[in-house]
Amino acid sequence: MIRSVSCSLLLCVLAYPVRLRAQTAAPATAVPVAGQASAPAGAVPPTDQEHYPSLNIQGFADIDYSAQDQAAERVGTATGFTPPGVSSNFNLGQFVLHFAGALSPKVSYFAEVSWTAGANGFTTTVERSIIRYDYSDNFKISAGRYHTPILYWNTAYHHGLWLQTSINRPEMIQFGGRLIPVHFVGLLAQGLVPGTGSLNLHYEAGIGNGRGADIAEPGNAGDINNNKAWLATIYAQPAWAYKWQAGGSVYRDKIGPANGIAGNYGEWIDTARLVYTGEKPEFISEFANIKHTLLGAPGTWNSQAWYAQIAYRLPWLQAKWKPYYRFEYIHIPITDPVFNPPTNPVPSLAGSIAGVRYDFSPYAALKMEYRDSRRAPNKPRIHGIFVQTALVF
Amino acid sequence: MDRHSTLLLKTLARWGGVGLALIVLAAAVEPKPRAQRSTPVAILVNPATRVSNLSLAELREIMLGNRQFWPDHQPIVLLLRAPVAPERTAVLHIIYQMSEAEFRQYWIAKIFRDETATAPKVVYSASMASELVVAIPGSIAFLEADEVQPGPKVLTIDGKKPGEKGYPLQ
Repeated sequence: MIRSVSCSLLLCVLAYPVRLRAQTAAPATAVPVAGQASAPAGAVPPTDQEHYPSLNIQGFADIDYSAQDQAAERVGTATGFTPPGVSSNFNLGQFVLHFAGALSPKVSYFAEVSWTAGANGFTTTVERSIIRYDYSDNFKISAGRYHTPILYWNTAYHHGLWLQTSINRPEMIQFGGRLIPVHFVGLLAQGLVPGTGSLNLHYEAGIGNGRGADIAEPGNAGDINNNKAWLATIYAQPAWAYKWQAGGSVYRDKIGPANGIAGNYGEWIDTARLVYTGEKPEFISEFANIKHTLLGAPGTWNSQAWYAQIAYRLPWLQAKWKPYYRFEYIHIPITDPVFNPPTNPVPSLAGSIAGVRYDFSPYAALKMEYRDSRRAPNKPRIHGIFVQTALVF
Repeated sequence: MDRHSTLLLKTLARWGGVGLALIVLAAAVEPKPRAQRSTPVAILVNPATRVSNLSLAELREIMLGNRQFWPDHQPIVLLLRAPVAPERTAVLHIIYQMSEAEFRQYWIAKIFRDETATAPKVVYSASMASELVVAIPGSIAFLEADEVQPGPKVLTIDGKKPGEKGYPLQ
């Protein structure tokens, strides 16, 4: 965690002479998002232009309740503290602030800062910090700390849980998880592949520090093994089926003793996605294969993880109800030395989530879920009920 | 079949059917789209913009914020009528295919995914939209065709002018 850095950044941002859109005298206001007042029409002559720098701040928060029969094996939660055995808990979840600033017509800065409730107080983390130059739709280049763009969920939904349909992320990409490197520190180029016409082929290519000393974290302060990780993603979002997205990614890194793992291993992560981004229905499915190869000696291990989620915004009752279902599966070979260290191995999973989201306000939702999962065939089945209210302000 | 696969199939069978049945039921009773409008919606751009025609798919990409630059690399500035304006309702229905709530959520998510630094600008009247689209380079707006004032360039969509047979924003 990078508490001190995040506090400094936050203070700098708040002290900066920002110009909130709601306070500008611009002739036209941004789409009124939560908590922002709308400027009166015609407040200034219409020749006035965008002001730089501008800053847009948005907050997210969630409050959770859970009841499980095997709390020590709880599924899909990266936060909170629960004793083993049957348990029920209220959990404050995360308080998140997003900062989106335009520095010029083609340069922007974005930051996401979270405060997470833990057993010993709150942890402050700079989740994302990105400066980007947009040359054209075909080429945008940025630097900073990202949510690694190798899985759709990881870049579509962030720490503001109001954005996503379900209470938690799929376990394969949960925050704090070790299966997939959720964060990435480095450089990223992205854009539309020229000449792909109505197929709308997008690319993303990045190079960065890779996993940190704790493989759940990126190398925030530097590369611990001086071997850069790289990634490449390509996906299509056809103009003739614009709510569909299909594609895949490759991620390459080298991990070893500096990551707290005995031996040196090459890590290849291959992913695939098929997504329908609407609400009637919403469909998200992703697959990842994580291959670890012992360098300099024979030995290869492949772990697989996938999930499929389907949801549908019901047309009745002012379209406020959205039931959903998700199946998740993670299989990790018990001999994989990276995911099965002597203590605290990464667990396998087969589980279902059935729930409903109720949007009781345009900017707040209540989600209720039932989960049924098992870590392995010889392990007990885990049942749980989860409730969350998530909001944006 | 190994134990993991057996477990997977059992769990899928247990819950998958329930979810699927609910979704199929909801889709079956989904209200049908509304009848076509009588007044066409005109798409206006800044007169200096070197584009005269867009396909409906290209227009959708621009309105969704997926295309953020004109071909000469000029940033696109999106001007949207405030809620309740009939042309906004039409654009949400025909182009975005979203409800007002979905539209708000879409742009909140778009900005905070860092896919764009700025949200569309909201304009509160037809005259304001016409004035701003002339004043702001790279801007694009939409109005009911009979409210268009002299100054902005009116685009053809799929090669059709507003009011012509086959114009998609009818």
